[in-house]
Amino acid sequence: MEIYLPIAEMSVRWLIVLAMGAGVGFLSGMFGVGGGFLLTPLLIFYGIPAEVAVATTASHLTASSMSGAIAQWRRRAVDLKMAGVMLAGGAAGAFAGVYLFSLLRRIGQIDIAVSVGYVVLLGSIGGLMLNESLRAMRAAKAGTPPPPRQIERNWVDALPLKLRFRRSRLYISVLPPIALGFIVGILSAILGVGGGFIIVPAMIYFLRMPANVVMGTSLVQIVFVTATTTILQAVGNITVDIVLAFVLIVGGVVGAQYGVRMAARMPGEQLRLMLAILVLAVGARLLYGLVATPADVYSITTGLP
Amino acid sequence: MSRAIIPLLAGALLVTLQAGAEDLVSGLSQDQIQITSNYAGTDMVVFGAIESAEAGGGPRDVVVVMRGPDTDMSVRRKVRVAGIWINRDQITLHGMPDYYYVASTRPLLKMATAETLARYQIGLDNLMPKSVSTRTPSKAEPFRQAVIRSRARARLYAQAPTGVEFLSYSLFRTRIPIPATVPRGEYTAEVYLFRDGTVISAQTTPLFVDQTGLERRLYNFAHEWPFAYGLVTVMMAALLGWLSSFLFRRQ
Repeated sequence: MEIYLPIAEMSVRWLIVLAMGAGVGFLSGMFGVGGGFLLTPLLIFYGIPAEVAVATTASHLTASSMSGAIAQWRRRAVDLKMAGVMLAGGAAGAFAGVYLFSLLRRIGQIDIAVSVGYVVLLGSIGGLMLNESLRAMRAAKAGTPPPPRQIERNWVDALPLKLRFRRSRLYISVLPPIALGFIVGILSAILGVGGGFIIVPAMIYFLRMPANVVMGTSLVQIVFVTATTTILQAVGNITVDIVLAFVLIVGGVVGAQYGVRMAARMPGEQLRLMLAILVLAVGARLLYGLVATPADVYSITTGLP
Repeated sequence: MSRAIIPLLAGALLVTLQAGAEDLVSGLSQDQIQITSNYAGTDMVVFGAIESAEAGGGPRDVVVVMRGPDTDMSVRRKVRVAGIWINRDQITLHGMPDYYYVASTRPLLKMATAETLARYQIGLDNLMPKSVSTRTPSKAEPFRQAVIRSRARARLYAQAPTGVEFLSYSLFRTRIPIPATVPRGEYTAEVYLFRDGTVISAQTTPLFVDQTGLERRLYNFAHEWPFAYGLVTVMMAALLGWLSSFLFRRQ
């Protein structure tokens, strides 16, 4: 059964799109990640134009982060003030990102920029995660608990414009959270990722937020940044396909629920190792696409100046 | 559009010159194609008759050309830089059709000379852009060929050398596939009657391909009120996210 996507201006098999949404939703529920880094490349492999894939995934992330954010909100595990400060940076980042996105599109380098961005991002994050989880597993096998990370005073404390974040029990400068939000906003606009896998470690190690508010705060921030990105892409590039978004979201939210259940039955270390391998595999596939000799060295864009 | 008109004017001129010895009438099975949510392509039948046709004389041939709306195509060539393939040279071809299909009773070069075919832009070899974004046209040639290759892969450009069949001495018919990926816009079906290698009559019929129903409305919504469209998309996403957490909590 075919369904016509009015913005991508092409027909796709809606069952395949639904299955992609459900599969990515399942993995994102299982690993507790947004799944943008999986969904965008998957849509591109399927033949959706890169610009539509990136922009539409942003709206998918709004939906998938929404249910998690609500659950965390009920547990009072959200530092709304921190999320607000990060969002200020995030909105600015999304603006800059969407502008950069249309610039890259005009000069015809958007596909390559998206692929290179992903390879760098997935390669480094995947490598770090693999390293971390292997070390933790080795330590667990040897019977010694993994060495706790030494948290010391760092350059973050030296910055001005300090603000008190009650829920996080922190008194820090607003500059690092704004900068963090800005980076994630750019990534969300150009790569169609929520950036949870950057925000969460950064909140823990840079901002030193207590673990119980990290997840909730990052989810709330992702909901708002991806919502901002969706609107900006719709206005700036007209690349958000609402029909594609709808099918992906319906598949995604259902898949996520089963993923969460699956995760409850698996040890955390094993999950993290699997996620690391998955991240690296997607990165490797994209790298292959960049270095392999293309079937046709010419590519065509219509209707652009 | 003007490109399509020139051969027609020429054709009309020829018809009057030859005193309308043989007149051409043709029609389409549909004068518009509506792209609906489950549109998976369709076949367009072009048929016609040669009026006051007398037996004898030289061989007659019919060519049917279906042409999509003209568009500008930016063609880029990838080169390998530090191991990675990136887009480097770019040439824009102005006024290339989004869709092009030519069907004929015999292979084109068997019925007319290359010059005649080039004059009427009949055949993929003679499909030229109105203008190119480079001063040296020879540079644009590989880019033009790349467009033809790529569109042929997508089945948006095609040639059917024996696609037109004569049902009787004066009646002819051809079936033109319109794939699911055709762009929207105004198409033209051009029918040429050849005798002894020259065009003696030509006729053109417009055809409209458009989205309809919900697809049309969403497309217009996204283009005319992009902010509201983005807001609606976000609200739909938020609602579905909220709904799922609500539904699955109950279980």
